[in-house]
Amino acid sequence: MSKDNQYAIETLSLTKIFPDWWGRAKVIAVEDLDMRIKPNEVYGLLGPNGSGKTTTLKMMLSLLHPTRGKALILGGSSSDTRISERVGYLPEESYLYKYLSARETLEFYGQIFGLPRSVRKARIESLLEMVGLSGMSNRPIGTFSKGMARRIGLAQALINDPDVLILDEPTSGMDPIGTRQMKDLIIRLAKRGKTILLCSHLLADVEDVCDRIGILYGGKMRVEGTVSSLLRNKDEHQIITDRISDGALEKIKDVLKQENLRCEITSPMDRLEDFFVRTVAEAQQQKATTSGVVNTGKIGQFLSEEDTQEDLLDKLVSAPVTPEIKKPKTMGNAETESVKAENIETESVKKELLEDLIKKPIESADTEIVANAKPVETVDQQQEKSRQDLLKDLMGGGDASTDRTEQSEDA
Amino acid sequence: MRSIWVVARNTISQAMRLKVALLVIMMLVILLPLMGLDVTGDGTLKGKLQTFAYNALMLMSIMLCLFTIVISTYSLTNELKNKQLFLVITKPICRFQIICGKLLGVIVLDIFMLAMFAGVIYCLMMFMPYFFKANEIDKLKANNEFFSARTIREVPVDMDMIKEAVNKRYELRQKAGDLPTDMTKQQIMQEFFNQELNKDKAVLPGGRKKWVFNNVKPVNRKDEYIFIRYKYGVEVTPPDEMIMGAWAIGDDRKADEYGLQQSETPVYPVIRKDAVNKVREIPVPAGAVAADGYLALEFVNPYENGTTVMPQEVQVLYRSGTFAANYCRAALIIFARLIFLAALGVSLSTWLSFPVAVLVCMVAFVTGMMNGFIMESFDTLGAGAGFIYSLTFKPLLWLLPRFDGQYNPTNNIVGAEVIPWLLVGKTYAFMVAVKSAILTLLGIWFFSNREIAKIIV
Repeated sequence: MSKDNQYAIETLSLTKIFPDWWGRAKVIAVEDLDMRIKPNEVYGLLGPNGSGKTTTLKMMLSLLHPTRGKALILGGSSSDTRISERVGYLPEESYLYKYLSARETLEFYGQIFGLPRSVRKARIESLLEMVGLSGMSNRPIGTFSKGMARRIGLAQALINDPDVLILDEPTSGMDPIGTRQMKDLIIRLAKRGKTILLCSHLLADVEDVCDRIGILYGGKMRVEGTVSSLLRNKDEHQIITDRISDGALEKIKDVLKQENLRCEITSPMDRLEDFFVRTVAEAQQQKATTSGVVNTGKIGQFLSEEDTQEDLLDKLVSAPVTPEIKKPKTMGNAETESVKAENIETESVKKELLEDLIKKPIESADTEIVANAKPVETVDQQQEKSRQDLLKDLMGGGDASTDRTEQSEDA
Repeated sequence: MRSIWVVARNTISQAMRLKVALLVIMMLVILLPLMGLDVTGDGTLKGKLQTFAYNALMLMSIMLCLFTIVISTYSLTNELKNKQLFLVITKPICRFQIICGKLLGVIVLDIFMLAMFAGVIYCLMMFMPYFFKANEIDKLKANNEFFSARTIREVPVDMDMIKEAVNKRYELRQKAGDLPTDMTKQQIMQEFFNQELNKDKAVLPGGRKKWVFNNVKPVNRKDEYIFIRYKYGVEVTPPDEMIMGAWAIGDDRKADEYGLQQSETPVYPVIRKDAVNKVREIPVPAGAVAADGYLALEFVNPYENGTTVMPQEVQVLYRSGTFAANYCRAALIIFARLIFLAALGVSLSTWLSFPVAVLVCMVAFVTGMMNGFIMESFDTLGAGAGFIYSLTFKPLLWLLPRFDGQYNPTNNIVGAEVIPWLLVGKTYAFMVAVKSAILTLLGIWFFSNREIAKIIV
């Protein structure tokens, strides 16, 4: 992405009209769509069936020609191989070769990307482990369930460690653990600076991971904005606290009554997703046999690797590259204004338990969402300049690392 | 090239899992040995070999052509239908690479299949003399007239002389006012032409006719045979349908007035009776050919035949190469056919559905097998449309293949006739380098510009 490309994905008056057999305009699938997704953003494209989501993605990926307008990825057309080698795509259904095994499938796509044999081999192993199909890597995909095929679909989308990831209904057909992993992965990739565009009907999934959402209807963008700005209810407040005595509860009710305010007091419920994950993880710990997916909870090593050069540079210039603003999540999905120290402790105990169950590092993002504030925007210009200069010295000229730094600067 | 090869390998994997591939392999594996065991021919070893070679090569050629048509049209259309191509196209691969990969995959598969079955047929042919326990004479005949690659020499008709004779005759008849009134000039000229042509061939009872061949170069003039091939046409068919012929074969330049040999090489006299309108071959020691490649044939029509005889297709055949090399050239020509069909199939599958693409390929294949008759008919019919026809339909007709006549190597193998490298080169130049390349480029152009996820509502 060049410096003057402000957006990772951009559509300019994108329009698609499907004709009938005689070439007459019959259906307006997408109309004058202007959508801009910044680098390192997780964007959710929502809409009912037939709203034009998939058509938009297909135009972005050059599978369809726009009737009018343009769709740009990383500042260019995805038909350009220099662009497409930086893009990962998971279609709404896993369009894979049924006669190839999981390993052969990844090998096939890895070869198309021109990955060296050693890199390809390492990534395939890593991805197979990540999607829980290591034990079935030599089985033809035709024998896989929809969810298993979906996992291989995800693995092929990640084999090139893409800068832009386009996911169409990513959790469709996946079990809750797969869904959770997918969401974790999205968050993790976003933390690594990837740009993710996802289409989904499952609004809860989108809400959990997206920085910004847009709702399409009739091929037109109806609403667009950050999740928090669109969903925040400023007329109500929610207080979460430890178990309190009946007396204290009565006192709170009295206070609110005096203020003429409505008051609902309930005990928060565990989410079914968390409960399911725990149950399956317990079964796995007991080594119960299964011919299905075995979740390792691991993220592909090459996807979770930090850029050591950048880390070194960051230390040298003493500037945090990606300062994270933690956004604790509540059960009711409302935004919590303040959290007590005790609450954090309780939350972290829960988190630890969950981490332990799905065997992933403590910094897993299921309870952390990177806030909309873009990390790179907070980097002091002078520090950034120092990093750039030092990087140039170390690299001896422009290369991939330099590009990445430029990318961050663009953002 | 890397991406092309990746797609090609995937195409091969896909094709080998198709039932049609299994069917073709099974049919050939079962049928070829059965044909080799069951073949009868005319009872001689040579006849059996010729019958087997003809049937086996035709069967293999047709089966591989059908296999190529199915695989080349299925691969791309299936991936479009099942949308696997959606994923491939979003990867860093150009669309022309996908088409080239598909084509390469089918071609590699064809190489493998052709090599396998051509090898099986070759081995069966080589084992047949042992299997049928043929006697030495039979083996020698098979060796000379089947396991060989013979060059054919023919004396061309002097067309200028014929034309001159036709014109002279027409002028004479015109001056005499003797021209038929119910015929056009063109019809009269055509009739005169046919008559002069027959006159040129005709040998009256008691008459003789001589053919002179130059540059006849058998590999070994001492121990080998050359063959005089001919067919008798007659003015009136004798009751027993047999014609007596007396031939003198050799270097007659130093023969005396009685026709007796004076030169270093002998002149071989051959007197024999042959059936009318049947192709026959006379084996003659290759020593009959002079050192400078000169060979003369003289035919005498004895009075006892009582009719004018017209020896037709008089040819001299002599060994100029090995059977194995000739067989390889035959396989190369069949391979060119397969390349053409693969290019046609892949090209058509970029814009047609599977059944339609297969149908169009089959029409092209059948047209190619039919002796150019269909193309000539179209040409004659379309000639009336003039300019428009020559700009639109004619170029498309030109793209149609020619699998018959000289482009059918089966007849060469059966007749032990050498397939010249020139013909192989010509086949590859026209059928592969030009026609197949044009079809592939058309396919690439269409595929590069089409919407892969197109929907018509």
